[in-house]
Amino acid sequence: MTGRIQRLGLILGVGFCLLLVALTRLQVVDAAKLTSDPRNTRGLTAAFSADRGLIQTADGVVLAKSVPSNDEFKRQRQYPEGALFAPVTGYLSFTFGADGAERAFNKDLVGGTLTAGDRTLRDLFNGNSKKTEDVTLTINAAVQRVAASSLGNRKGAVVAIDPTTGAILAMVNFPTFDPNPLAAHTQDNVRNAYNALSNDPAHPLLPRGYRESYAPGSTFKVVTSSAAFDRAPELTTKNYPTLTQLPLPRSGGRSLRNFGGERCGGVITDLLRVSCNTGFAQMGLDMGGDDLSAEAQAFGFDNKPPFDLPAAATSRFPDANEFKRNEPGVAFSAIGQQNVSATPLQMALVAAAIANDGVIMTPHVLGSVRDDRGNAVRTYDAKQWRKATSPETAAAVKAMMIEVAASGTATRARVSGVTVAAKTGTAQTGTGSAHAWLIAFAPAEAPKVAVAVIVESQPGVGEATGGRIAAPIASDVMAAALKK
Amino acid sequence: MTAPALPRSNAGTGLSLLVVAAVIVGAAYALAGLGQTASLPVNLFPFLIVIFGLMALAYVAMRRLAPNAEPTLVPIVALLNGLGYVVIARLNKDLAANQAMWTAIGVAAFVATLVLVRRAADLERYRYLLMVAGIFLLLAPLMPGIGSTKNGARLWLEVGPFSLQPGELAKIALAIFFASYLVERRELLAPGSLPTDALAARARAIGPLVGAWALSIIVMVAEKDLGSSTLFFALFVAMLWVAAGGYLWPLLGLSMFSIGSVIAWSSFGHVQERVRIWIDPWSKASSDGFQLVQAAFAFAAGGVVGTGLARGTPQKIPAVATDLVFAAVGEELGLVGAAAVIAAFALIVVIGLRIAQRAERPFEQLLATGLTTIVGVQSFLIIGGVTRLLPLTGITLPFVSYGGSSIIANWILIALLLRISSGDRLERPVRMASRRAR
Repeated sequence: MTGRIQRLGLILGVGFCLLLVALTRLQVVDAAKLTSDPRNTRGLTAAFSADRGLIQTADGVVLAKSVPSNDEFKRQRQYPEGALFAPVTGYLSFTFGADGAERAFNKDLVGGTLTAGDRTLRDLFNGNSKKTEDVTLTINAAVQRVAASSLGNRKGAVVAIDPTTGAILAMVNFPTFDPNPLAAHTQDNVRNAYNALSNDPAHPLLPRGYRESYAPGSTFKVVTSSAAFDRAPELTTKNYPTLTQLPLPRSGGRSLRNFGGERCGGVITDLLRVSCNTGFAQMGLDMGGDDLSAEAQAFGFDNKPPFDLPAAATSRFPDANEFKRNEPGVAFSAIGQQNVSATPLQMALVAAAIANDGVIMTPHVLGSVRDDRGNAVRTYDAKQWRKATSPETAAAVKAMMIEVAASGTATRARVSGVTVAAKTGTAQTGTGSAHAWLIAFAPAEAPKVAVAVIVESQPGVGEATGGRIAAPIASDVMAAALKK
Repeated sequence: MTAPALPRSNAGTGLSLLVVAAVIVGAAYALAGLGQTASLPVNLFPFLIVIFGLMALAYVAMRRLAPNAEPTLVPIVALLNGLGYVVIARLNKDLAANQAMWTAIGVAAFVATLVLVRRAADLERYRYLLMVAGIFLLLAPLMPGIGSTKNGARLWLEVGPFSLQPGELAKIALAIFFASYLVERRELLAPGSLPTDALAARARAIGPLVGAWALSIIVMVAEKDLGSSTLFFALFVAMLWVAAGGYLWPLLGLSMFSIGSVIAWSSFGHVQERVRIWIDPWSKASSDGFQLVQAAFAFAAGGVVGTGLARGTPQKIPAVATDLVFAAVGEELGLVGAAAVIAAFALIVVIGLRIAQRAERPFEQLLATGLTTIVGVQSFLIIGGVTRLLPLTGITLPFVSYGGSSIIANWILIALLLRISSGDRLERPVRMASRRAR
């Protein structure tokens, strides 16, 4: 019997050896294949579970942080300010990925940009082979709060920028969303929250400030004016006839009307102050599509802005060739209608270009990146994006925009104690409603802030709409930005 | 039937091995605490002390109650039990406290077994009682009212707040019965010389074999418990072969099991499903094959040296604290740690079979063989199932998996093995002394 016991041991021994073979196959031979299998979510989980740095505003308000959690992900991402900063921070979701600053600065947040030399031996033993980095944005929480409360529950967006550096000071939109439910760990709840947001016809997930385009309406007249000074100086002294409507060439008798049947005309300063459509339309026709198109491109139209948040939309102005087939189109494009579309960010950059002697600085939300001991890893250095126009033209257009705020359509954009330069816009969207626009900067002598405000689909189509609805918001935001 | 001249372990070896096991478990626990961000060690440290205390208690009880018993078995079991506890504590804090309680009850059952069973031979007297008890325990989950179904298998008893798997205890009772029955009948079952009325006698002797086969099929069909039925049948064939010898019984047993398997496969959807996801879990990676696919990902994530305790994500695997605990070991301790666990089971088999060979009487020999086979085959089946060497069957990994019935039954099993080895050691010096006297 002992012999058979020994043989039984041998049989079981063979069995155990087979287990080692099966184990080796899984853990060594096939390991790489299994790890890279698309159904394997372990890598994703590890990435999602990795410690992650803070996102905070320039004035130290924490926008996103990671706290320990007792589930498979080990850490929960939290957005203490909720919906207010969502257009900038975006979200981090296991199921739906990341957007906004969470996506743009992911590498920094997980410590990926630190070099190996920055890691100590102690970190290796602690398992902290990667240290996190905190990201400080250029956003100012005080300005952001004022912008959001001033916009209120009206669909639209506000972008405030420092024209001398390109630093975004505030970027809000309504409606917006709370990123916290998207960062939750119960995947069914996350899915429901995401579906509700993405099926909402008001598009709360859309960061309107830099990813949605609208017809810029009369705010575009700043570009048309600049084009006249740059490319057709004779038009800057031309006295345009006072009209209620402008017959369009080669259009079969169509004409372009002023809002509400208003009569207007005069030299360029008068035209801009009251935002005279017939005057600027004629100016566009006088100048031609080539010059207007070239100027729009100089201001950044048809160029993807080098913005550091992901997937910024490109603003559009028709190509010169398009006008060859459609000459009346120049008249409409000169007043920012028809085929012209611009993001609020783009229109803020138009204001910033005038404010900054014709130079557009690269727009950015990244201030600095610091390691977990507070040492700066990198700091954003302001750089020029493009030269929109000459300092002389910028000065001339600025003077006209000061007039618009002082005695024209944008008087409500004024801020007590400082000189404001502004331009209103009312972009028709259909019968009886229009997008109310305002672009402005202050103080006019040494600009510190430029803003673009859009309030969507407001009742009442008239030049006054932008001045009545958007201008007060711009005024509040500029006042807050100058106070900071 | 002479025992091979293997070196014998002494008590000192056992004690130092126990200390080594405690150091390994303590270090594993400390590492798991470092790996997790939460305050694991603070919350559960008292339970770890309880585990250490229990292992020491088991060792002291063995030294007192079975002074001549093989001293290396308890340290190996303590290592597996402790490592299992750390893995479970790392997976689920609520289960950790329960597992500590189950371990306490297991060790209490271990001590009680050593106290109550003073001589292994005493068990022979209760063989029919044990047979009835074994069959009753095996079939108990089928009783309406107290039986309950979990994960498609009806092998649980709901008693108050606890659910028990009586099949775990049934294996031991039936191993004792088989050992006693087969020792008595082995002349009849042995191949070769046939008495004149051999045919009739053999037919009668075959009876229990058919009975065992039928019982395992019932378990497979009615309780849908493929693991227990395979284990049960393997136990019976192994014991029959060791008792009687020859190739007839293993061949007959194997073919009967094959026929039973084919019948089960062709008649029952759940058996076909098990086989299908064994051959190809990938085509159903998000449904029926999910568990196996996740286990494979876990092993791959572990690689050779593992992710480190509490630094992997074994929570992704369903039933990871119970049947699939080995996948968590593979992920966090790697090939090295998983192979060490396999080696620990191999050592239990080696020591258990050595106890069997050393035992003086055939009954003890056969019983030790059977008990060792249970641990060996059960660990082989579940590790093979998790690593896809075999179709996955829902049984526990002895001492490592979470679960009361498994822990208690396996501690009792070890107590019986030690009692057999203690008996063999008790007699030897006496005999040698008498030889010297002569």
